Amino acid sequence: MVRQGWLPVILAMVLAAAVLLGNQSLQLGLDLRGGHQLSARVLSPDPQVALTAADLDGVKNVIQRRIDGLGLAQTRIQTVGSDRVVVQLPTVRPAPGEGAEAEAVGDDTLQQAANQITKKAVLQFGVLRSSEVNRYATLVQERRNAQIAVLLGEQQLEQLQRSRGDGEQRRAVREELEASRTIFDQLEQDIGRLFDLRPLTGDDLVQVVAEPNPESQGEYYQLSLTFSGPGGQAFADLTKEVAADSNLRLAILLDGRSISEATVGPEFRENGITGGGARITGTFTLERARELEVQLRGGSLPYETEIVEQRSVGATLGSDNVRRSLSAALVGLALVGGLMVLIYRLPGLVAVAALAIYALFNLAVYALVPVVLTLPGIAGLILSFGMAVDANVLIFERIREELRSGRKLYQAVETGFSRAFSSILDGSVTTLISCLALGYLGSGLVRGFAITLGIGVSLSLFTSLVCSRTLLKTSLFLYPGLRRIKYFQPVQ
Amino acid sequence: MTSSEIVPTPPGIPSAPASEAAGPPGTFTGFQASRYRRALLLLSAVMVVMSLVGFLVNGRDPQIRAPLRAGLDFRGGTSIQMELACHDPGPCTTSQRLRLPVVRSVLADVQLEPTGDRQPAPAPSSFNVQLLDDGEGILLRSTALTIVQAQAIEDHLATTESLAPFQQERTQVDTIGPSLGAQLLQSALRALGVAFLGVAIYIAFRFSPLNAALALGALLHDVIIVAGLFAWLGQVWDVQVGSLFAVALLTLAGYSVNDTVVVFDRIRETDRLQPQLGVIDRIDRSIAASLVRSLNTSVTTELPILALAFFSGGELRWFAVALAFGIGVGTYSSLFLAPLLLGLLKKDKDMA
Repeated sequence: MVRQGWLPVILAMVLAAAVLLGNQSLQLGLDLRGGHQLSARVLSPDPQVALTAADLDGVKNVIQRRIDGLGLAQTRIQTVGSDRVVVQLPTVRPAPGEGAEAEAVGDDTLQQAANQITKKAVLQFGVLRSSEVNRYATLVQERRNAQIAVLLGEQQLEQLQRSRGDGEQRRAVREELEASRTIFDQLEQDIGRLFDLRPLTGDDLVQVVAEPNPESQGEYYQLSLTFSGPGGQAFADLTKEVAADSNLRLAILLDGRSISEATVGPEFRENGITGGGARITGTFTLERARELEVQLRGGSLPYETEIVEQRSVGATLGSDNVRRSLSAALVGLALVGGLMVLIYRLPGLVAVAALAIYALFNLAVYALVPVVLTLPGIAGLILSFGMAVDANVLIFERIREELRSGRKLYQAVETGFSRAFSSILDGSVTTLISCLALGYLGSGLVRGFAITLGIGVSLSLFTSLVCSRTLLKTSLFLYPGLRRIKYFQPVQ
Repeated sequence: MTSSEIVPTPPGIPSAPASEAAGPPGTFTGFQASRYRRALLLLSAVMVVMSLVGFLVNGRDPQIRAPLRAGLDFRGGTSIQMELACHDPGPCTTSQRLRLPVVRSVLADVQLEPTGDRQPAPAPSSFNVQLLDDGEGILLRSTALTIVQAQAIEDHLATTESLAPFQQERTQVDTIGPSLGAQLLQSALRALGVAFLGVAIYIAFRFSPLNAALALGALLHDVIIVAGLFAWLGQVWDVQVGSLFAVALLTLAGYSVNDTVVVFDRIRETDRLQPQLGVIDRIDRSIAASLVRSLNTSVTTELPILALAFFSGGELRWFAVALAFGIGVGTYSSLFLAPLLLGLLKKDKDMA
């Protein structure tokens, strides 16, 4: 009775899944929660210049900063495929107990966001005006405070969301966070205004690389910049000017917001930094250096972006979709369960239990990964109910055959499971191949479907083979009264 | 191992009397698919031909010019779906309901700002207007609009006094640029190709190249017939196919091959356990043994899909319809078409 060892494992997994679902909420896609989605395609004006993944990251980062500047909550920005950036502006749904209306992103904001996405990034270099040195110091202090406020707010919100804390409190934290973000963005712009622009822009920047700083034995990171010929000259002039006064700073401005303000050492007073190359050193962590690298690259890219997709779903329509797909899933489960009991009697009942475990595990995996649930995703889940049962149908038909050929009950159950195994495996593998093809090559909606169906098929291997077998054998073992052929097949 | 397996008549299927061709009388009383071979093959041929005719009709239709009516996803464009405030809880009174001529005249008044530097705005009078739910909702389709243009239309409809008020929380706007549409179509076709190839390789590896070719043939048969149904639906009811339809075809591919593999697996087992029987006889037995399982599986898969079709609306409903129909066809082809053809081909090989 080695197999019986699975029972505690299954029970523990069910418990773990239930606890997980109790503590972590599922993420809903735009079509279920309402909101806007904009996809931008990044175009290279010169067909010779190919868009690399690093370039796309740069563009994404530029867009991310601009959207954050709008002060919207729960925005999500991702790169998709080789040339697209997708921006999602969901309806902010109040948690139960938050006692507020769902806040939809207004049409004006949508237009603003679209403008921010298609605007070409501008990277500029400037020198601090000597009259603003004191004001600069004050603003830098304020910016540091604002940055800390944003980080704290993000942490707090994440904690509250994980613990499903008080709705009122969460709302307050979220509003505060949005305010901090706006303040931070404003401060970056204010600081940017303290600098006089010089004739050097992102177009002159040829290469940006974040790398370990050799002098710090790899503890800190630095950015090395390479300029074009004329750009190198302009940079030399610029650094010469800044080196003249130790209070002055050289700022790099992205879309008018300062992303870096560096000093230039007195040794460059004579000629500035010549040769077209420079390093920005400091106590940069790898993360911070990478961020700057991506920002600088984003600002120096020659790419244009155009909006190729807009999807807007009203908030009520989203909750309608949730209600409908929930009904479809429950009715689908009930119908399948009813039919199984009708056809297969006791094993059918066991299959229903296995199916319930299956549904629970699926949701737990969604919460764990996490999978963003969309309408096609739920369709994939519903479809996989039928497929999950398929394995049980195969097994139970086999058990009946074995019974008819005169085997003892227990032996029939055992043989049924082992003989059905190869068809179940083949069937699952072929479905998984389709899912993989869909997941790799499909677009957003298609991928959602492929992911849920793929998770479903993999999980169903476990629930239909291990769970139903264990449950069936355990119930036969514990309740000898069940060991009757009539519980396995209809009287003929 | 039972070498004398007795396969009883599955419930609901009339038992065919054992014939001379099936071996000594009295040894086998199952359903003999090979006896209906002609009828079954003819049925498949008729369905495939009808589908091909559907593709041709669509291709010659100046409005479609493709085998299937491409939806927003693949062609690019904008769709705006709006619902009257009185729809929920409903029903709206007759005077509140939308009427096509009124909507069209309201639309004709919209002034759209130009799309780009040189491109003029599309004319709202050229939009395709459809009423939903007996005039309690509306669906507009056009070439791709900018966000500003789409909003102008939405606002105009919402503020016009000759129409009942709309509920803006239930508005859905989708815009797909033409370039993205072409890209989506390409990636859908590529996904289909890759999935077919992957499945074929797997079966060739697990069974034999002949089995793989037949499973793929059965799959192609299913895909053509389902696409054929949608070709006719597009012709008759303007049903369009988008990404979700491609997903349905791919899911079907997985399902149909899965089903075929189960039958092939059974044939392989019968070949091993009862080698004394003829090829056709072994295949008949395997089909009969798989019959109940295949039908039960189809029903258990169809039930949730029908629930989905019942509760969902719009594109998702047609997705469910494609799946429901496809699973029916897939079950039929994997139970009968692929094994019967396998029998025919193997018999030829045996005789040669």
